[in-house]
Amino acid sequence: MAGGPTLLALHSVGMAVVVGLSLMITLRLHRILPGPRLELIPRLLTLAGWGFVLNLVTGLGVFITRGPEYIVSGIFLAKMALVVVGAGLTVWLWSRLGPPTRAAGVPAVDGVAKAVSLGATLAWFGAVVAGRLIAYLSDLY
Amino acid sequence: MSASVFQRIADSTLGAWVNSSALIWPTLETIHFISLCVLMGSLLVIDLRLVGFYRERCASTIRVLARLALLAFAVNLATGVLFVFGNTFKYVGNPAFELKLALIAAAGLNAGLYQWRLSHLVETEEVTWGSMAVGCVSLALWAGVIVCGRMITFYAR
Repeated sequence: MAGGPTLLALHSVGMAVVVGLSLMITLRLHRILPGPRLELIPRLLTLAGWGFVLNLVTGLGVFITRGPEYIVSGIFLAKMALVVVGAGLTVWLWSRLGPPTRAAGVPAVDGVAKAVSLGATLAWFGAVVAGRLIAYLSDLY
Repeated sequence: MSASVFQRIADSTLGAWVNSSALIWPTLETIHFISLCVLMGSLLVIDLRLVGFYRERCASTIRVLARLALLAFAVNLATGVLFVFGNTFKYVGNPAFELKLALIAAAGLNAGLYQWRLSHLVETEEVTWGSMAVGCVSLALWAGVIVCGRMITFYAR
């Protein structure tokens, strides 16, 4: 079995980690989940970041093999745009709730942080949908 | 199961419905992937507690997450069954699909072990070797489920 399918399979694992943790963080910040403690959120965001690194590495691996085909696919470009938005909002959230406020203990979760978290999660889910549709709206898988 | 049973599944009304529109299969796959992310997120927070990534009394959180994980799994199961009805012979005899089912069964047994022996731990801040093993095994099994699920296409006849 070639490396392409393995990369795609690992890409799915990274995706599930990033999107799953992003959803859990949003549910926690909006108090739909009673726990874990808010102090844990920066660590969960860091873990989601490692999931994103796995996604990035495997995604680049797939792109290297079939880049010219992907780059002309509209749905792939839509996915990339959603990934950039999701990653940007997640990094913003991490900088807001992470290291700068670590010394203060419990992160300050205001309406902006909640809205950004929700926006990031929606962008990640959008990227999942677009990623899945690549196979149907182009000749790629 | 005999080939005629699989043929009957493939020829069923449900199978015909799955293939009745070009939109149904991609929609089912999208729902399958989204519920997979919900399942993985819920399990990550539960398993990270078991392995000691964080230590706190969180029985109520774990209860909510367990229900969410079960709901997501039910959606995955329902869409997965529809895939089998829609393209039966892509799945029958497919080693990636068979391994995926075996890993799901093993993950179910592992969850049962947690419920039987370790669920009281989340009412404390305790982490044991047993909870770490169950948490690690759960994460590894579900990662394997995702990998096998993505491999099904490449092992189809």
